[in-house]
Amino acid sequence: MSLTTAFFSRPSLLFGAAILLRLALLFYGRWQDANSPMKYTDIDYLVFTDASRFISQGQSPYDRATYRYTPLLAWLLYPTTLTHSALAIPASVWFDFGKVLFAAGDIVTGWLILRLLVEKQGMGVERAGKFTSLWLLNPMVANISTRGSSEGLLAVIVVAILWAVLLGRLRLAGVLLGLGVHFKIYPFIYAASVWWWLGDGAKRVRIGKKGLVEWVGAVLTKERRALALDSLVTFMVLNSVMFYFYGVPFFEHSYRYHLTRIDHRHNFSVYNTVLYLNSAKAANSGFQIESLAFIPQMFLSVLVLPYFLAKKDLASTMLAQTFAFVTFNKVCTSQYFLWYMVFLPFYLPSSSLLRKPRLGVFALVLWSLGQAIWLQQGYQLEFLGRSTFVPGLWLASIFFFAVNCWILGIIVSDVASLPSPPAGKKIE
Amino acid sequence: MKQRLTYLLPANSSLAPSDLSVKADRLDFAKAPQAHEEWRVTLGLHELPDELKLFLVGCQELHLRWSSRRPHVLTPPLVSRLPAGLHVFLTPSGVEDDLPICNLLKKLVGDESKCDSVHESFARLPAVSESPAQPATFQWYQNSSIRREGLAEVFLGKICPPSSANSDWGRACDSLIRTLDDASHVDVDFDAAGQTLDFTAYWSAEDDAVSRESSGRVYRKAGPEGRLEVGVLHAEEAKDSGELSLGGYLTVIGEDERPSATLFSFPSRHHPLPPTSAGATFKTTIQHPSGLHPKLHLHLPRQPLTQRPQETCTLHTYLTLPSTLFIDRFQLSDRLFLDSQNLVSLQSLIGEDDLEAPDWVIRRWGSAALVELAAPGAGLDGEGEMWTATIPLHLRYLSPLLSDVGTDSTAGVQIPWPIVFWACEVEDAELNLDNNPFDRVDLGFDGLFTPQTLFYHVPPAGDAMRLVEEIQVPVLRADSAGLVQIGIFLAVVGGFAWICWQLARAVDNGKGKGKKRR
Repeated sequence: MSLTTAFFSRPSLLFGAAILLRLALLFYGRWQDANSPMKYTDIDYLVFTDASRFISQGQSPYDRATYRYTPLLAWLLYPTTLTHSALAIPASVWFDFGKVLFAAGDIVTGWLILRLLVEKQGMGVERAGKFTSLWLLNPMVANISTRGSSEGLLAVIVVAILWAVLLGRLRLAGVLLGLGVHFKIYPFIYAASVWWWLGDGAKRVRIGKKGLVEWVGAVLTKERRALALDSLVTFMVLNSVMFYFYGVPFFEHSYRYHLTRIDHRHNFSVYNTVLYLNSAKAANSGFQIESLAFIPQMFLSVLVLPYFLAKKDLASTMLAQTFAFVTFNKVCTSQYFLWYMVFLPFYLPSSSLLRKPRLGVFALVLWSLGQAIWLQQGYQLEFLGRSTFVPGLWLASIFFFAVNCWILGIIVSDVASLPSPPAGKKIE
Repeated sequence: MKQRLTYLLPANSSLAPSDLSVKADRLDFAKAPQAHEEWRVTLGLHELPDELKLFLVGCQELHLRWSSRRPHVLTPPLVSRLPAGLHVFLTPSGVEDDLPICNLLKKLVGDESKCDSVHESFARLPAVSESPAQPATFQWYQNSSIRREGLAEVFLGKICPPSSANSDWGRACDSLIRTLDDASHVDVDFDAAGQTLDFTAYWSAEDDAVSRESSGRVYRKAGPEGRLEVGVLHAEEAKDSGELSLGGYLTVIGEDERPSATLFSFPSRHHPLPPTSAGATFKTTIQHPSGLHPKLHLHLPRQPLTQRPQETCTLHTYLTLPSTLFIDRFQLSDRLFLDSQNLVSLQSLIGEDDLEAPDWVIRRWGSAALVELAAPGAGLDGEGEMWTATIPLHLRYLSPLLSDVGTDSTAGVQIPWPIVFWACEVEDAELNLDNNPFDRVDLGFDGLFTPQTLFYHVPPAGDAMRLVEEIQVPVLRADSAGLVQIGIFLAVVGGFAWICWQLARAVDNGKGKGKKRR
């Protein structure tokens, strides 16, 4: 038994390494923050913890400028506001509670991924461990969580949705879906894929033959009803509670801001240059393509991909949906890449990227190269003050977009080529 | 109308009564070219142009302070400074009043200024008293030169009408207005309690000593009703710290036949640096390349900084920034970061502090910040002669450049030099700082300290070309708009079509297989 085989076939070793990696980064982060004016901790973490402090003083988290999240997050990080040691843990360590929570989210996500791979995809523990390590031992993932970015928390919610659906716990899935959308809006796209994945009554019953009522009844299966109702109720209850306590600023910062924001500052999105160009112009001055940007994005991530792919492989469909959503989004930063990375362990085992290693390596190189070129142009703009908007950043973002579309084409084609599972045997 | 003219000579200047010659409506001073001049005219409401008079009815207080971008030497007792540009402080008499001050300001600094209304474009200063009945004071600033025609029209239009240029007073008035451009600073102060408006201009001797003969500034009494008081003064050594002493001659034109000698002392808010740190100046630079996060460096000689004017003094800088730049108050809250930049704390930040908004959605003029600097302690030798503090700034995105503006894809943004001073709280309750004929208050930064605070001003380096730095900011050019949009449109359509085609092909293949199997 080789060393790697021994490592990956023992989950305790894999998870031990993942936890150690995060602990090491947490301690390193504390050291760097205490000794260097350049901080390890992400700016967003200071926003979260400031918002928690406002809450602990009976104020609104939205009193902190640029807090654009649900108050739930600030409440979750309440222990970071402790000013005295508690449970024999000093206050300065409590300040890192949020990072520990986000890192723990990573670990739980990894555990769910491993279980699903072993139990649902019937993979051997060693092979499953290798694919899980793409998430657990991914330095980018560990780095983002330990710097205090909340994406790790979102990943655990999203993978838990998948886990609950595949295990047939649809009420739980509905609650998690409602929670996920409340947290960060974008998980609503998974409602579409889970919906299609559940039952196929609509195909059997056609309008006209048995009438509208029966058709609706057939479409709205018990499972779908449970999912829709539970997610909607969870979503609305959370919103009502937050609105009751924090009023209009909750809607303003948690939703309206994200739906209407036009991020003019340079980011990976292909639309970025045109957003900068047109947001400065007066409104309604001619045709603005970015106002139609939601069409390809929603068409792919909410309609076409779930419809054609969900029944083949739900996890890979969620990957394709997220990939399409991020690629066609009007704003895109590297944290968004985590949103789809979490699904890679489910898709890669049967992908042509792995079957044809040269293709896989080529895709990885292009994906990294696209970012590198963009980052190089962005660095010139941000720190050297060179005006690289056009053609530099413009071409770099188009290139990166093209690479992403090409990869998404491969993913979509892979998933669509999977054999359809026999009907009626999904939920056990 | 009252005029007060003060010639201020450098300390220890020789001055004899024979240098002064009193005439019926003026005083001729032989050494005028070496003297700094302060001209203050005090006007009653009836002496103001109608538009201004109407406007002032709604004002409790109005202070306009314009400071030149040319470096200028100031002499005691007039040593207070402000960053170059026009600073406005307005206190409306009603709490909810929105006064039409922007029309007035646009006459002074041009139509393109960021001024729509007080509530939209001004910054509200923190309330001094908790009483809600006390109207707030609003601040506005623009880093630009001032139009002297506008100044004359708005404030002096009635006492110096263009048609009066054929009288003696008219010619004198005209000579003063014509040289307003050369002034180091111009102040306008109105207080509803006094119902008078003070218009003050200060010309530094170094500024125009050469051109003095040609500029031909003439001071005259304005007719029999007007009053003109002329002081020819120089600083003497003061007995008490916190006080300034002036000696010289005072003359009331038309009343005194000869100048009367005088020597008087008064407590002063603003002071030059004490002899222990005399000669210290500061220099402002912007780190190159400036990128989108320009760093503003303040360079001061280390040794004089170790000598505080008094034990209680702390070193400060006061910045006024245009709306294109902003300070991140959260960045300036980390102890280690502040230490590394030689800063103590951001003590006040008023105005536009949005961390994300681009310049084209900002309707306020910008922001003003007071930062305490970590002055070096004594006895730290061998750390280099110069000491540097750094204020991190951030740029907003600027509106895309119109296609007919040159070929550059950068735009110039001007950053005025801040001012640097020691602030020293005095415990001496006896010291009445208001009892000063040359007092200057409502400067923006003074209100952020207790009333009993002395300011020791560090002058900017004399070799500076101008008290403004300019950086080049990357901007997108609008003339590439067509190409940019087409490129993005083709990419999105192409990418979208590719994905759809891959999907359709795979789905179709699957169906084919399915049929075959069946």
